[in-house]
Amino acid sequence: MQIEQAFDGLAPNRRTLLKSAAFGLFAFKVAGADMLLSPAEARARRAALSKLSAEDAARLEAFGEALVPGARAAGLAHFVDANLARPHGESLLTVRYLDVLPPHHTFYKAGLAALDAASRAVLGGPFEGVSAAAARPLIAAMLPGTIAPWTGPPPALFYLAVRSDAADLVYGTRAAFARMQVPYMAHIEPATDW
Amino acid sequence: MKLPERTDAVIVGAGAAGNLYAAVLAESGKSVLVLDPGPAWKSADLISSSIWSRRLRWGGPAIESTGRHAFGAGFNTGWGTGGAALHHYGTWPRLMPSDFTMKADFGKGLDWPISYDDLRPFYDRIQEEVGLSGDAEAEVWRPAGAPYPLPPLQQFAQARLLARGFHALDMKTAPSPMAILSQDYKGRPACLYDGWCDAGCPTGALANPLVTFHPRAVKAGARFLNGAHVTQLVPGKTARTAAGVEYIDSTGTRRTALADMVILAASTIANPAILLGSTGGDWSQGAGNSSGLVGRYFMTHSIASVYGFFDGEETENYMGVTGAQATNMDHYGKESLGGGAFGSLQWQLAPTMKPNDLLGVAMARADLFGPELTAFMDRAVHHLAVMFGFGEGLPLLENRVELSDRTGPGGVKTPRVVHTFAPESVKVSQSAAQLGLKIITAGGAAQPWAGPMATAHMMGGTIMGSEARTSVTDSFGRSHDIDNLIIAGPGLFPTAGAMNPNFTNHALALRGAEHAAARWLS
Repeated sequence: MQIEQAFDGLAPNRRTLLKSAAFGLFAFKVAGADMLLSPAEARARRAALSKLSAEDAARLEAFGEALVPGARAAGLAHFVDANLARPHGESLLTVRYLDVLPPHHTFYKAGLAALDAASRAVLGGPFEGVSAAAARPLIAAMLPGTIAPWTGPPPALFYLAVRSDAADLVYGTRAAFARMQVPYMAHIEPATDW
Repeated sequence: MKLPERTDAVIVGAGAAGNLYAAVLAESGKSVLVLDPGPAWKSADLISSSIWSRRLRWGGPAIESTGRHAFGAGFNTGWGTGGAALHHYGTWPRLMPSDFTMKADFGKGLDWPISYDDLRPFYDRIQEEVGLSGDAEAEVWRPAGAPYPLPPLQQFAQARLLARGFHALDMKTAPSPMAILSQDYKGRPACLYDGWCDAGCPTGALANPLVTFHPRAVKAGARFLNGAHVTQLVPGKTARTAAGVEYIDSTGTRRTALADMVILAASTIANPAILLGSTGGDWSQGAGNSSGLVGRYFMTHSIASVYGFFDGEETENYMGVTGAQATNMDHYGKESLGGGAFGSLQWQLAPTMKPNDLLGVAMARADLFGPELTAFMDRAVHHLAVMFGFGEGLPLLENRVELSDRTGPGGVKTPRVVHTFAPESVKVSQSAAQLGLKIITAGGAAQPWAGPMATAHMMGGTIMGSEARTSVTDSFGRSHDIDNLIIAGPGLFPTAGAMNPNFTNHALALRGAEHAAARWLS
């Protein structure tokens, strides 16, 4: 039983850059050992996935990279997977904002399967096997909902969810802000950069 | 800490209204227990990141949202101490007198059982308590009321650039009235303009409950139990009384909190859901629902978003506050837009845009991807400007919160929100988008565009009124049906206006709480 006692009185009154323990880090297994890693580190170290299969992850990376260049190396698949493994209330995925009913791993897996089926039907091969240029017409048909064939969650919703996940990693970090010459100006600083 | 078996008041929900009620009642000597399903956030938890800020949104059982214009429940709701007010943007305009008399004036929608003049003193007191920044004289549309206790917030380039378009069309602008401190005030520091309001303001400059009524409530002895999911009201000895509430605690144990007074201050969605799910005793159609109107008249605001580039200018769109730097209400009159539109319109200029997130730069052109998105981002993070037109949604009986077939903790049915704007409300948003494009073009923006209509804010569902037949509560939020039940929050609004609801939410809660304390159970 958790009783909130009082206003903590420790709120920073200036840009004090407090460090938040383990913020931006997720628990991954690497060669059987539990480690706290950023999504990019987890990808680089080939950390095990919890909710997504290797095929799902490859497809998600290909889709995310086509949407937001840089998403693959930023660890999109591991970022999504680690959040899908968390309790819903602790997930950091934009899908929370899109009123998609949980569990969200079924949303991602169904969306990826639908994308792959469409790719095989239209482009003649698995989505992760076609070039971004070849995939453009297929992707462009997702937001207006004209992609066919499509059997899965609403394509616009799936497009927006993955695009936003990818944008989080490519544009929402301190490193990304610095790259774009946008001052981050944290009140409470993230302890790591995803 | 051992909880008492019985308190004078049990409050469901530790958001803005719940904390205000807790403060007022505890300070009047009542024993108060506040139950909230989410975490016990503290200011130091509020990490400056759009990614992290998702933790502040509803994390409980799923809310289904449907209808032709489905409400954005996931983005608008809160989770834990502070509720939605913990991530709200502090844009605090007052409702206008015309919002209270829509049916009498136009034969549309509903009337409030009180007038603006009834609420005015509470607006004045709340703004003094929490510290509002603004320029009352510049707000030529503003109804009568005390001037703001603080001067307006600083403005940045984005606001100045957008204002040019309004002025070119002989339209006015004024600094937005903000519950954010422009100067140090009552022990809280002035705003730093870093634009992280959406992730929760840890400095205390923005008037979220953690720095306003929550400390007062705790100091006066109110106790807060987090991780407590209220499932239903417990019937009392008669159909007109509630004995308390049933809840499931963080261990999964079903418990009962007995109280002389029950105050429902959960969200606009959760309040009616709890009432509809309370079917014990004689409440076969839900507690407090003899009118059949619990859950009905759910309302939201439409948003028309208008964007444009100011190449050659640094718009500083990452600076300021997430709410707005300036406002215009020239078309607040219900019929002022013409063309079949009916309802008020409020412009909010120059909200902060971080590069990512739902209201961020990348989402401004959701259709772009690949190299085109990269090029867009390179340009937009320094040269994009945006303004939002908030449009009134009419109260419609068919827009509602109801129970779905899904279940949450304790087997309780979870809520479903059904929402479709009236045709004249859609026209408000369409007219706003067209008008906005003219304005931003007149201001010199390049390649302007309007985004798709979106929704923001939630009101109605437990509306107040004069008669038990046509409303759920009286003007103080007291249930018409259950003598010791009070409902709080924007769910009480019979009309939505086009104003961000939290100022009115506070004014109503203060009025209701003081009335309850002064006339306890009478």
